Amino acid sequence: MSSSPKARPLLEVKDLAQHFGGLKAVDQVNLTIHEGEIVSVIGPNGAGKTTFFNVLTGVYQGTRGEILFDGERVRGLPSHEIVARGMARTFQNIRLFQDMTALENVMVGRHTRTSQLLLGPLLRTSAFFEEEKATEARAKELLEFVGLKSLVNERARNLAYGAQRKLEIARALASEPKLLILDEPTAGMNPTESVDLVKLVRKVRERGVTVLLIEHQMRVVMDISDRVFVFDYGVKIAEGAPKDVVANPRVVEAYLGKEGA
Amino acid sequence: MLIQQLVNGLTLGAIYSLIALGYTLVYGILAMINFAHSEVLMLGSFFALGVAMLLPSAFGTGTAGLIGMFAAAMLGAGLLNAIIERLAYRPLRHISRLAPLISAIGVSIVLQNAVFLWISTQSLSFPQPVAIRQLPLFGGATVSSLQLVILGAALALMVLLHFWVEKTKMGKAMRACADDISTAGLMGINADFVIAVTFFVGGALGGAAGVLYGMSYGSIKYNLGFLPGAKAFTAAVLGGIGNIRGAVLGGFILGFLEVLASGYIPNGAEWRDVVAFSVLIVVLLFRPSGILGEKIAEKV
Amino acid sequence: MTRLLRSRWTFWVLVAAALCLPLVANIVEFPYLVRVGGVVGLFMLLSLGLNFTLGYVGLFDLGFIAFYAIGAYTTAIAMKHHVPAPVALLLAVLVTVAARAALGVTILRLRGDYLAIVTMGFGEIARLTINNLDALTNGPKGMQVRSWRPLAFLAKDPNVQFYLLIAAAVALGAAASRRLEDSRVGRAWVAIREDEVAARLSGIPVQRYMLLAFTVSAVFAGLAGGLFAMWEQFVTPESFVFWESTLIVSIVVLGGMGSIAGVLLGALILAGLPPLMQATLSTEWINYRYLLFGLILVLVTLFRPQGLLPSSRREAELNS
Repeated sequence: MSSSPKARPLLEVKDLAQHFGGLKAVDQVNLTIHEGEIVSVIGPNGAGKTTFFNVLTGVYQGTRGEILFDGERVRGLPSHEIVARGMARTFQNIRLFQDMTALENVMVGRHTRTSQLLLGPLLRTSAFFEEEKATEARAKELLEFVGLKSLVNERARNLAYGAQRKLEIARALASEPKLLILDEPTAGMNPTESVDLVKLVRKVRERGVTVLLIEHQMRVVMDISDRVFVFDYGVKIAEGAPKDVVANPRVVEAYLGKEGA
Repeated sequence: MLIQQLVNGLTLGAIYSLIALGYTLVYGILAMINFAHSEVLMLGSFFALGVAMLLPSAFGTGTAGLIGMFAAAMLGAGLLNAIIERLAYRPLRHISRLAPLISAIGVSIVLQNAVFLWISTQSLSFPQPVAIRQLPLFGGATVSSLQLVILGAALALMVLLHFWVEKTKMGKAMRACADDISTAGLMGINADFVIAVTFFVGGALGGAAGVLYGMSYGSIKYNLGFLPGAKAFTAAVLGGIGNIRGAVLGGFILGFLEVLASGYIPNGAEWRDVVAFSVLIVVLLFRPSGILGEKIAEKV
Repeated sequence: MTRLLRSRWTFWVLVAAALCLPLVANIVEFPYLVRVGGVVGLFMLLSLGLNFTLGYVGLFDLGFIAFYAIGAYTTAIAMKHHVPAPVALLLAVLVTVAARAALGVTILRLRGDYLAIVTMGFGEIARLTINNLDALTNGPKGMQVRSWRPLAFLAKDPNVQFYLLIAAAVALGAAASRRLEDSRVGRAWVAIREDEVAARLSGIPVQRYMLLAFTVSAVFAGLAGGLFAMWEQFVTPESFVFWESTLIVSIVVLGGMGSIAGVLLGALILAGLPPLMQATLSTEWINYRYLLFGLILVLVTLFRPQGLLPSSRREAELNS
């Protein structure tokens, strides 16, 4: 099920570039993502996909161009402000808080939607207790949503790999994002786990969250995506429905080289 | 007056450079600040004193004395540094970034207090194998023979280091490890051994600086290392920590700044130490990679 | 073990035990014990403070003693100008917090080793500045502090009075730490220590929270400094040398970073044993105390890096 053609644009990227000195990691990228879509970004290794995600989420400032998120200019904003505005992400190499429990990890994800600072906990106000309870409840609900209900009090470092990936997603969802950005969510997963994750991503979309992901497993890409963007050498070289993109000779060339096309 | 300041600054800078090189070599290869370096250099001066006292006829005076003291200081300090690495840092390398630092502080305290327990706050007089003569320079300034020795020794060591790092196989191995230690390992380099050698060389340079310090002040005491160590670290950071040329550059710049400050700021002598630390903070704020350093970004 | 240490019952038992110390000292005719208690208490306060920056957030701070000095000297100077004692104490905290915040805003973008060196540098700058500003601080000769006997109705001995004040401060400090630990802020701090990038991308304004921890720690330092000045009635730059900073770092490391109970125990051992040894054993021993302390630091780091009473998280972190 794809979004209706009239769905409003959530993320608009205009002429975006990220240069590191002479290296043009990302260059002249233009794309739009609409509310409710599931969009995949594919491309050979080193194509600039993760760098692109890093610019979107404020890890890099971007050298040129604009990023409009829900109509607001966000390029160059610090990461925590971008998260507050509704963009959350997971990482290529899982970055969980290893020695916190699964529950605590997700509770940290709630940070932008909560507000207690010093006085609340010091004076043990009722507002403080209420917020703590609500945070914990939300976190538990999210853990159940991703299928980790029984592992709530396990330390993150003790979780199986697939569970860790799901936990990262739960933590990202805790900030109530409009756009969830997943960086290679099925990396290192076997086919069963990948199918599981695809189901989860669909569930996330049903919750009303738009999803943007980098993905290498073509089966997953074909299965899940409404649209696909293809990156190569920092530039977007193709976009469209999955089956169209896969047949695009320029895309094939990027992956296999000229001889293999 | 200015010329005299420059001469003095040059001499002080030479000593700082030697000590800074010790910090930078270790930092370059392990990304670790060797907090015990200041005590290693202090002990270097004591090793030199020991040799001069034990064998006064052979090493008490003259060129033989000079060479003997340097040899003792450099060998002793180098070995000490390498032993410390092996016992107190290596087991902690994989635990966290903080653990070796804390261990280094502990080692520093142990070494300093061991000497304190031996001679308390006394200053022991340091042999002066070079007859001190003032040689006239232009502009009314003079340079003492001692200063020439300091400059000569420091420069000679720096040239030797340069040669070692650039031209020898071990030096190349060290550069490889400083660049990317896991890949160096994959290329067949015994990283642990290279690290040990690096600590030895760094310690040896510190020991030499200890001797020069002892000769400059005529005496040594238990806490000789702290201030010069801290300031030399500033110099290393100023030049770009991990960068050998940076350490030398930083050392000389700091030497000049300190001498000029104490000469031209009212009550300057009291504030000269503050100069070094303030420079440190300013540099780290505006150019944390130092003058010649590189920025290393973290991969996300 | 962790649950026992964290229970409220344990807290009140310890408070009661602490309050009994002067009585015990009286019974065994060892009044020096109260002095030692006071010194230990001050270091407990300082270590609880450093625990916020080093323990929770993982910032390597080597110049904390400077803020103890600022607290002490602010009090001394205020008292000299006839400011009433409680106000002087408050002033000490405010000035220390302000100075710490100013430093934090400037240097907190530095990491790890660099931060360590800069904080050490600042510590030295502070001490040297205090030493050189004779007009304000009387330089190396030190300053007398006007007498204040707040609890004269409870006990005649000023040592006992200040011991009780310090003990109360420690109890408050420990309770405050505990409460902050188990809150949104506490979790954010630990998240920053565990993975700064992930923390930032979870919406935590990392810089701001580091500054927060930095500033909160100053409250403890300022308070401890003020109490110290009023108790000793004399302050000199020599009390605030670099090694005192390393002592506090060692207490936090020895006790277990981020562990309140551990930090308190660490202070008891590292700040309590040396003066006790000095009083009871031959004078030779006291010279060995620093040597011992350095050895402890190295050995603990080598063989028990999680500390004596690690926070449960830290234990997991280092046992993996």
